[in-house]
Amino acid sequence: MMTMKRISIDPITRLEGHGKIDIFLNEEGDVANCYLQIPELRGFEQFCVGRQAEDMPNLTNRICGVCPEAHHMAASKALDAVWKVDPPPAAKKLREMFYSIFFATDHTTHFYALGGPDFVVGPDAPPAERNILGVIKKVGMDIAGKVLKMRRDGHHLIKLMGGRPIHPNWGLPGGVSRGINEEQRKEIEARGREAIEFAQFSLRLFEDIVLKNTDYVSLITGGVYTHQTYNMGTVDADNRLNFYEGKTRIVGPDGKEFIKYDPKDYREHIAERVEPWSYLKFPYLKGIGWKGLVDGMDSGVYKSTPLSRLNAADGMATPLAQKEYERLFETLGGKPVHHTLATHWARLVEILFATERWVELATDPEITSSEYRTIPTETPEEGIGCVEAPRGNLTHHYVTDERGILTKVNLVVGTTNNNAPICMSVKKAASGLIQKGKVSEGLLNMVEMAFRAYDPCFGCATHSLPGQMPLRVNLRDPQGEIIQTLSQFIG
Amino acid sequence: MKTLVLGLGNWIVADDSIGLRVAAELARMLADRDDVEVSEDYWGGLRLMERLVGYDRAIVIDAITTGAAPGTIHHLTPDAIPTQRSASAHDMNLPTALELGRQAGLGLPPNREILLVGIEAKDILTFADQCTPEVAAAIPAAVEEVLRLLQTGSPAD
Repeated sequence: MMTMKRISIDPITRLEGHGKIDIFLNEEGDVANCYLQIPELRGFEQFCVGRQAEDMPNLTNRICGVCPEAHHMAASKALDAVWKVDPPPAAKKLREMFYSIFFATDHTTHFYALGGPDFVVGPDAPPAERNILGVIKKVGMDIAGKVLKMRRDGHHLIKLMGGRPIHPNWGLPGGVSRGINEEQRKEIEARGREAIEFAQFSLRLFEDIVLKNTDYVSLITGGVYTHQTYNMGTVDADNRLNFYEGKTRIVGPDGKEFIKYDPKDYREHIAERVEPWSYLKFPYLKGIGWKGLVDGMDSGVYKSTPLSRLNAADGMATPLAQKEYERLFETLGGKPVHHTLATHWARLVEILFATERWVELATDPEITSSEYRTIPTETPEEGIGCVEAPRGNLTHHYVTDERGILTKVNLVVGTTNNNAPICMSVKKAASGLIQKGKVSEGLLNMVEMAFRAYDPCFGCATHSLPGQMPLRVNLRDPQGEIIQTLSQFIG
Repeated sequence: MKTLVLGLGNWIVADDSIGLRVAAELARMLADRDDVEVSEDYWGGLRLMERLVGYDRAIVIDAITTGAAPGTIHHLTPDAIPTQRSASAHDMNLPTALELGRQAGLGLPPNREILLVGIEAKDILTFADQCTPEVAAAIPAAVEEVLRLLQTGSPAD
């Protein structure tokens, strides 16, 4: 059928500093394969081995400038397990409240700065206008103040609880280093109530601008951005979504539960495929097997995104978010929803859930308790900590000697979970726009929208890329020769 | 005039820490200056803009990769900002963020008072406690350059 040979792609150098996509055409000039390459930091495990495990919440939160709090939390939970200590209830509640504040803040930034502009300003608008300034122009000045307030409040409360403005130094094996007093609790509650209103406002904005526009709805539900894969999410005892703790649940493309397991058993259920053309591994479901970058019940590919979390849960644990959850599935034709662009909507539902949970916990009588740490007494050994990070499931796995010195470190981050579906989404978007060797206008934009929905963390590292989502696409013939290069935001 | 001197970077990624190391040196030297605050952060875009609120002037020190010799010092303005952290793939670039802040009525320094000092990095992909020797050797010159900017308000050349 296809004569394409495998071509290994040159590593991206950090000097280029941008994501690179190679699209291979077959003899007919149609898309045969798409490879997404992203730069990755090196040597984190070696950097950590030999250090004290207690340092990990403060080291790993520097890995990622986008979600330091997610790494901080996964690391703290891994340390609980390493020292075999169960934090007291107040500590768990404080951690989850902190995490909910972070989640709402991070999702807000993504929606208004990156994901939202594609819809609010319009998918056909020039890239230079598809930003928050374009959103303001269309929606009004108020929005700028609202978004900046949400961020300011979130950062302020994270500092108030986490101890430092930059990287929190709060999580410890067995709990946290400090609690909150009544005055602080009141402030957290007040900001949380305003945050709920902001989340509701954001959902109304999405309804008015996106859902009332049939073109946008067609774009969301169209085939270009749809993939029938397995969906992963963390759920509580009632199978409702939880960001901080629970069981990992995976539902099939048909929406039925495939498996539910304790995150500490992840290696029994998730394997990692290594492809010679990518630094980044491709996790897949062991119980299904690796069939390549393909859809369907027989392919072990899964998604770990805001949308996949909604698909994997039976509902939301808070009332307002539950209503929005129901509306999303009713509007898009029932569960599960496989339309990648609906991830932006799911993100807004998650903001509402995070803000409601934030207030629930801020009004919990136990939240100001002074019992926020259990002192570990066991000998440290091995531990796994898992949370849902904004961009997908995040797992930290540490092994130590009897002194608590790290001997092994493994991290599975959100973007890695989504490596296969991101490549598949990019390929599908490209396939629709390249036919018989001809490239339609808007290829870069459509490809960018495909992977922007996942908000991939390039390298899951604190370094950022110059410009706005710099992207280079190489079109290659079956022999691997570059026919055409398209790029944007590469100065 | 209230000035913020801000090092951007990551302490645990080789040359990506250079902006922080220069800022740490300056923090010691400028400890008695009431009109200058020296600080650090890790992220560009919106977050960087939010850090600049309330200052009349800002000098931002960051790693940069242009292909020049490691340790080379570059001068940049907010309109031309290819440094490591002054842009963000997860939110927005600095000019957009500054525009947003100004539209929202935040008190930001004017663009001409936002000076970026970029130090050419060699390795920004490896986790390490230290810079490469070539880049570490540029710390005294970068410190000098920031002190000169504080005094004159414009680059040496």
